[in-house]
Amino acid sequence: MTPEALDDVVSASPWHDGGPGLSASRLAPGRSARVDEAEVTGPPLLWRRTPRVSLIVILPEGHEISQAELADRSPIPGDGQGDVIVACAGRPANLQALQRTVRDAQFLFTPAGTSAERLRELAIQRASGDIVTLVSGARLAPALSVQDERQSC
Amino acid sequence: MRAAKALSVVVPVRDNAATLGKVLTAIRHSALKRENYELIVVDDSSDDASAIIAARHADTVVRLTGDGCGPAYARNRGIEIARGEIVAFVNPDVVVSPDTLPTMLSTLATRKDIAAVAASRDEPAGAQNFASQYWNLLVGFGEQRHPEICAHFESGCGAVRRSALVAAGMYDEWRFGRECLEGLELGQRLQRAGHRLLLLRDLRVVYLKRWSFATICREVWQRSALLTRSFGYQRTSVSVPGEVVITLSRALTPAIAVVGSASLAAAFVPPSFGLIRDVCVLALILLGNLPVHRFYARQKGLGFAIASAPMHVVIQSIAAVALCIGWLLRDTIGDRLPDATTQAFSEVGLEIWPPVPRRI
Repeated sequence: MTPEALDDVVSASPWHDGGPGLSASRLAPGRSARVDEAEVTGPPLLWRRTPRVSLIVILPEGHEISQAELADRSPIPGDGQGDVIVACAGRPANLQALQRTVRDAQFLFTPAGTSAERLRELAIQRASGDIVTLVSGARLAPALSVQDERQSC
Repeated sequence: MRAAKALSVVVPVRDNAATLGKVLTAIRHSALKRENYELIVVDDSSDDASAIIAARHADTVVRLTGDGCGPAYARNRGIEIARGEIVAFVNPDVVVSPDTLPTMLSTLATRKDIAAVAASRDEPAGAQNFASQYWNLLVGFGEQRHPEICAHFESGCGAVRRSALVAAGMYDEWRFGRECLEGLELGQRLQRAGHRLLLLRDLRVVYLKRWSFATICREVWQRSALLTRSFGYQRTSVSVPGEVVITLSRALTPAIAVVGSASLAAAFVPPSFGLIRDVCVLALILLGNLPVHRFYARQKGLGFAIASAPMHVVIQSIAAVALCIGWLLRDTIGDRLPDATTQAFSEVGLEIWPPVPRRI
């Protein structure tokens, strides 16, 4: 079977999503199917070897997440396989610090008072990951958050 | 590095938006501290809003794509990312009570000889129509006949030690593409590995799934054919005597014997005796079903037991035919296998996401 024909078969297989990833037609003849994606360049690929990972941080009004925790939970930066979405009700106290911590993060701002459940619904619709982790921020401790913001500036 | 949890709750979902919210809310209302367990929902290519509903409650949502590979496959994807020492499975139509998960957790903590525990189904069923009540009672009748320690892991609501589950090879996603007997197969494998599985009869959960006569017939057909094709009737009737198919077919045995004898004798008796023969056969079937109908009468009243009798006979007949088909397929084609594409890619050892179903 030619690699091109193999692609067609995989595209029709029950577990395949048709999304970007690793392509059989890009495998050199006689090579293992396990291919380092870094070697593959060119047009959009058909298969992926690993799942995309998304992190959604939910910050209802009066909640926050520390820079350290956000950095710890974020997918590997720059690997193109993950995204971070911070869904906020209103404006979080340490917004600038969070933006610096994860530069590629998408921020989803909703009116103050939006419920955590609604934030989760909105955020997952924007997430591209196959595995989506949802983290809720901790309730805000006012004195600490202001201090944190000052230090980060 | 994320911390380990005491419990991971895995919920496989496929187009269950109607019941999922209620199911996940019930899990969150468990008498367990929220930080002590994680809730993982695996969405097996739903076309409805299941993933969005899951996101309202879950810590992690795994989104599988494609045509859907079944709950065994979905549960395995959940197990792979679970951090709990104990993994609990709750079906997307099963409502747990606040003490369900804590009781399963404490049972496994105190009884080190037990590798898995499961809850029984509560009466009445969540759906109030006749067919749902009938099916719920039929499965419930079987559960009452299970020994407390048995070879069936009830995946609808059960918890298992992660180490035992992984060592046993997790669910058989290779052969069980549909929601049908995968828990029975896993239970038998766990038992062969020397583990003990406990059915907690006093721990009840409510099944919300709405059944119709057609869906019951289809379920019985699939279970019966698969049972003889992949498990073996005799072995299952010994190890899991409460399985629905065994309940249905056991009562048929005397009637089949009479039909056989009467057919042989038919050559020597006048045709007018045919009616008597038919009445005798029907009476024997009803007599064989007496334990089931008595159970129905106790639970729902005599009227329900009488009304369910014709439906029961039809379903028994379907089970009998499917058992024979299963035997035939086993002897002619062999055990059930996935499609040729899946087999080919498994053979190559292709690493892709979502993964090719694994062979145990």
